Amino acid sequence: MRVSIYRFNPETDAKPRMQDYDVAPEAGDKKLLDVLMRLKTMDDSLSFRRSCREGVCGSDAMNINGRNGLACLTSLPGLKEPVVLRPLPGFPVIRDLIVDMTQFFAHYHSIKPYLINNEVPPERERLQSPAEREKLNGLYECILCACCSAFCPSFWWNPDKFIGPAGLLQAYRFIADSRDTATAARLAYLDDVYRLYRCRTIMNCTEVCPKGLSPSHAIERIRLALVRESS
Amino acid sequence: MRARSASAPKFMNLSQIRFPVGAIASIGHRVSGVLLLVSLPLLALALDRSLRSESEFEALRDLVSEPWRALLLVILVWAAAHHVLAGVRHLLMDIGVGSRLSQARTSAWAAILAAGIIALAAAVRWLS
Amino acid sequence: MRLFLGQRAWVLQRVTALVLLILLALGAATLLTGPSRSYEGWHALATSTHGAVLIVVFFAALCLHGWIGVRDIVLDYIHAPALRLPLLALIAVILFAIFIRVVLTMAAHFAGGA
Ligand code: HEM
Ligand code: HEM
Ligand code: SF4
Ligand code: SF4
Ligand code: FES
Repeated sequence: MRVSIYRFNPETDAKPRMQDYDVAPEAGDKKLLDVLMRLKTMDDSLSFRRSCREGVCGSDAMNINGRNGLACLTSLPGLKEPVVLRPLPGFPVIRDLIVDMTQFFAHYHSIKPYLINNEVPPERERLQSPAEREKLNGLYECILCACCSAFCPSFWWNPDKFIGPAGLLQAYRFIADSRDTATAARLAYLDDVYRLYRCRTIMNCTEVCPKGLSPSHAIERIRLALVRESS
Repeated sequence: MRARSASAPKFMNLSQIRFPVGAIASIGHRVSGVLLLVSLPLLALALDRSLRSESEFEALRDLVSEPWRALLLVILVWAAAHHVLAGVRHLLMDIGVGSRLSQARTSAWAAILAAGIIALAAAVRWLS
Repeated sequence: MRLFLGQRAWVLQRVTALVLLILLALGAATLLTGPSRSYEGWHALATSTHGAVLIVVFFAALCLHGWIGVRDIVLDYIHAPALRLPLLALIAVILFAIFIRVVLTMAAHFAGGA
């Protein structure tokens, strides 16, 4: 199969270029990541991130034939050839398919991604009813791969100020948590033309989330919570 | 780290990205919104002229007799149709109606196609 | 005070969109049917108290809705303050002038008709 990959080496290249590889997948190769690992044995200068190889660590997000996805969850059958691989759109490229996630994680940290509750903890643990726990489904599964934020036009235009779908989904994960007591402060932080309101409900985020999550739905819930808060 | 990012390249070639239908409906909404906004002075002018006298009122109804003006009107009809349909779609999705991905894809297709058909009807009527 | 929270603009855009939607439907229904297809009919309708108020409300909603819309577009694409602020100011002035123009038009004919 033919794979066309975005190459950039900051030490030698002034600009990125595309490089074509021909590779024969072997019997055990099921996913795009298997082919990339095979290519790496042919050309060890080829750089990409990967770790778990099963959609859990979120490190091999890339643009595959024009759409963001995880190489390890992209099945080989059905992939149009040549398979064109580029780094996540809009993110600074460190080398080949490896992008700088500094800003992405700064946005994640800005929404205080941890439980805030200063009440005296109960003897054993903070309990939730099954219904309260249910509200976290579709939110806690996010692996912070950045497929969504890197496919969001609003994030492309304002990556420094718009929190982006991944960070907003995480923000809603704590807003929706019955054990968190900082809901009002979290909502107040998000009430901003840039942080939350750059989202134009394009839903590119939900289109590409490899975990099947819906950041646009979380954003919709945050906006409605803000309306409820102020009325 | 920072310095490297500042000079690092980015992949940001829109023609190499496969946009989902929702993104097409959305950029159409933005383009149509700008078109409508640009025509706002003309609308205010038309309001003024329509009230001045009978002959000015009748002149406004004759606008489509010139093909280039008829063409502009067809474009504006598309813009109005797409903007209103995509706008109603947004308003509904904002309150959680049809905001699931499968439904949002269907409604995006519906808005794009319906606006196209309405514009086509206007073109057939005024340009033929 | 934080002047530019996001929520107010977002809500205002939805509210003005609803107002526009209702008035457009109403306007289309009356303009395409009935007596306002003739000059006399249209003039009588537009210069009645109802008609004049609704037309002014329509243009007010339109200018506000359009303002928030282009403001968002400028915030998305134009980042240099030296370009952004004059551009926003120019757009605001033009929109405001259009609205004033409409009010003057309606006032002139309303006074004449009364
Ligand atoms: C029935 C009438 C209308 C409805 C239902 C409507 C609805 C909407 C909605 C919901 C938005 C926000 C969409 C978003 O967040 O991306 C919007 C944006 C916008 N509207 Fe309208 N609108 C209407 C009429 C108009 C008219 C007549 C104009 C022109 C004067 C206009 C100009 C704009 C602009 C420039 C935007 C910004 C687009 C963007 O942010 O991408 N709208 N409209
Ligand atoms: C010289 C004229 C004006 C300039 C330069 C200007 C500039 C701005 C800017 C830069 C923002 C967003 C700020 C940000 O968060 O980055 C904004 C928001 C806004 N402006 Fe203006 N503006 C002007 C006139 C107007 C006028 C005439 C109106 C009303 C008719 C208006 C209504 C608003 C509203 C409703 C918002 C959103 C407020 C919010 O987010 O809570 N502005 N303006
Ligand atoms: S929401 Fe989905 S696409 Fe976005 S970072 Fe989380 S897992 Fe990745
Ligand atoms: S719905 Fe909002 S966050 Fe998601 S891709 Fe669109 S603009 Fe970005
Ligand atoms: S390698 Fe861990 S998510 Fe793909």
